[in-house]
Amino acid sequence: MKYFIKRVGFMALTIFAVCALTFFLMNVIPGGTAKLVLKHTFVGLEESVTDEQLNQISDKYDLDAPLYLQFFRWIKEAVFRGDIGTSYVFKKPVLYLLALRLPATIQLAVMSMLIAILTGVSLGIYSAIRENKISDHILRIVTLFGVSMPGFWVALLLILIFSLRLKLVPVTGYGSLENLLLPAAALSLHSVAAVMRVTRTSMLETLGQEYIRFAKAKGLPLWKIVSRHALKNAMLPVITVIGFQMGSLLGGAVVIEKIFAWPGIGSLLVDSISARDLPVVQGCVLAIVMMFLFVHFLVDMLYTHLDPRIRYG
Amino acid sequence: MSLLEIKDLSVEFSARENTVKAVSHVFFKVREGETLGLIGESGSGKSVIGLALLRLLPANANVSGTVLFQGQDLFSLRPSELRKIRGKRISLMPQNPAGALNPVLKNRLQIEEVFEERGIDKKEGMKKSLRLMKKLLLRDPEKLCDLYPHQLSGGMRQRLIACMSLSFEPELMIADEPTKGLDPEAKEGAVELFTKIKNDYGKTMLLITHDLDLALEVCDRIAVMYAGEIVELDKASKVLNAPSHPYTKGLVRAQPRNGLVPLSGQSPSRISLPEGCFFHERCRYSNIECFRKHPEMKNHNGGWIRCHFQSLQ
Repeated sequence: MKYFIKRVGFMALTIFAVCALTFFLMNVIPGGTAKLVLKHTFVGLEESVTDEQLNQISDKYDLDAPLYLQFFRWIKEAVFRGDIGTSYVFKKPVLYLLALRLPATIQLAVMSMLIAILTGVSLGIYSAIRENKISDHILRIVTLFGVSMPGFWVALLLILIFSLRLKLVPVTGYGSLENLLLPAAALSLHSVAAVMRVTRTSMLETLGQEYIRFAKAKGLPLWKIVSRHALKNAMLPVITVIGFQMGSLLGGAVVIEKIFAWPGIGSLLVDSISARDLPVVQGCVLAIVMMFLFVHFLVDMLYTHLDPRIRYG
Repeated sequence: MSLLEIKDLSVEFSARENTVKAVSHVFFKVREGETLGLIGESGSGKSVIGLALLRLLPANANVSGTVLFQGQDLFSLRPSELRKIRGKRISLMPQNPAGALNPVLKNRLQIEEVFEERGIDKKEGMKKSLRLMKKLLLRDPEKLCDLYPHQLSGGMRQRLIACMSLSFEPELMIADEPTKGLDPEAKEGAVELFTKIKNDYGKTMLLITHDLDLALEVCDRIAVMYAGEIVELDKASKVLNAPSHPYTKGLVRAQPRNGLVPLSGQSPSRISLPEGCFFHERCRYSNIECFRKHPEMKNHNGGWIRCHFQSLQ
């Protein structure tokens, strides 16, 4: 319990630090915020913006106050009233926008993670059992390509092959499983390769342990030795990597969502950055950080479940 | 009648360009009901023999020779037939009890699985195991089953492993360095344990050890190994109380209670073994013949010895 409280405290600290960084860095980018806000309000009429209107906007969003005061106010609102600001562009609460976009991102992330875990772990085990056989070498070369190819490029290739040539799935769209397949595949490719490699290494190390030999000496068949004795032990490093992959997956989602016009947080983030919609950027980063921390918390809890020797005090 | 017959067993490990000769041309028999000790310093190849019998060596081991178990050639068995022998008819009690138990599985499962794949009711098997555990000086076996291996002491782990190896009442038990890494008190316990196993179960045992006290206490006959071959084989009391081979003499003198006189020099490199007697560099009786010609096993005083100068002793 003490550990749990400490853990939550650290998570809060991380969230605070990330919010502060995003806030101040966004304000370092040159160009007045008020001007940009007006540009988005009067599209095509940018020339007619007057100083009076600029001042009005600055007053409304309190943009002339010192930065630390603005940040302090944002934190206060967020903590005490659960209000993390209003979008300059959409004139809607950020929370509302996030709630609209979050399901799509979670869908994509969970699907990619599932693909990464299922294929990565099973290929890794297969590769470890067939160590130094032809199939192992082929798999390792293929995954080397996997880790080397950037996700956005793979995404374009997949669109080219499966959508434009073979016409199996639509290029973009949201809502059905066939829409989800391509973005999830493109996003997870890197993670599949990373998970597979670490599973292979970890599995090989575990298979060389003495308790595996003893299990063989007991007369157990190979599949039981792998599934019962080796897998649980080999999974510790693997779930650590899966946790980290979740981070790169959320980062990768920003680009992939844009390519597939996937209505998730990633594409919202990209749009808001170019529009300098600071509250929305802040909100998106906050959501991504929280998802990331949540996954890492899960990973740590899984450790104690997998290895009885680990206990957090 | 001999239960186990080993003919011309050689084991080589290939490591890059080199081959390491771990065991060369070993012949011996284990009679029904007897305990044969394999003794020798670390790296003399004794454990490798134990593992080779059950075909548990890693893939880079090159094994040749014949092993007959009740007239059946173990090296030509199919994997499924081999599994029927492993743990059931020949069991292995591995060295290092700490490493031989899977750290993430409860003790109960690790005991139970001995009865798997055997067409035997697990509950019946467990009952038998619990009785055995009580007999093998383990207190409160029921409670022990619900713990993880790391919650047991070294001596308890060893008893647990002995129990797993014995619960199927195998015809042959291979005990690999049972006292390695145990403190003096636990070692005494191990001597007690093996005497008990021998007296109560009358098991045929191959005891691999460098603990001469244990060997003298438990073994009927002893084979002394040096640099991968047997150099002396005779009744236990004869080998350890009146050794014939210069190496055995040195080994006995190096015992703490015999004056702790160390054997000078090191055993030869197993990548390029010397041409003559493998021991001649360290032997104080050696002369030109030992340097030129490798000695054969010869009958001597009712036992076997591999030395040119048995008449000297």
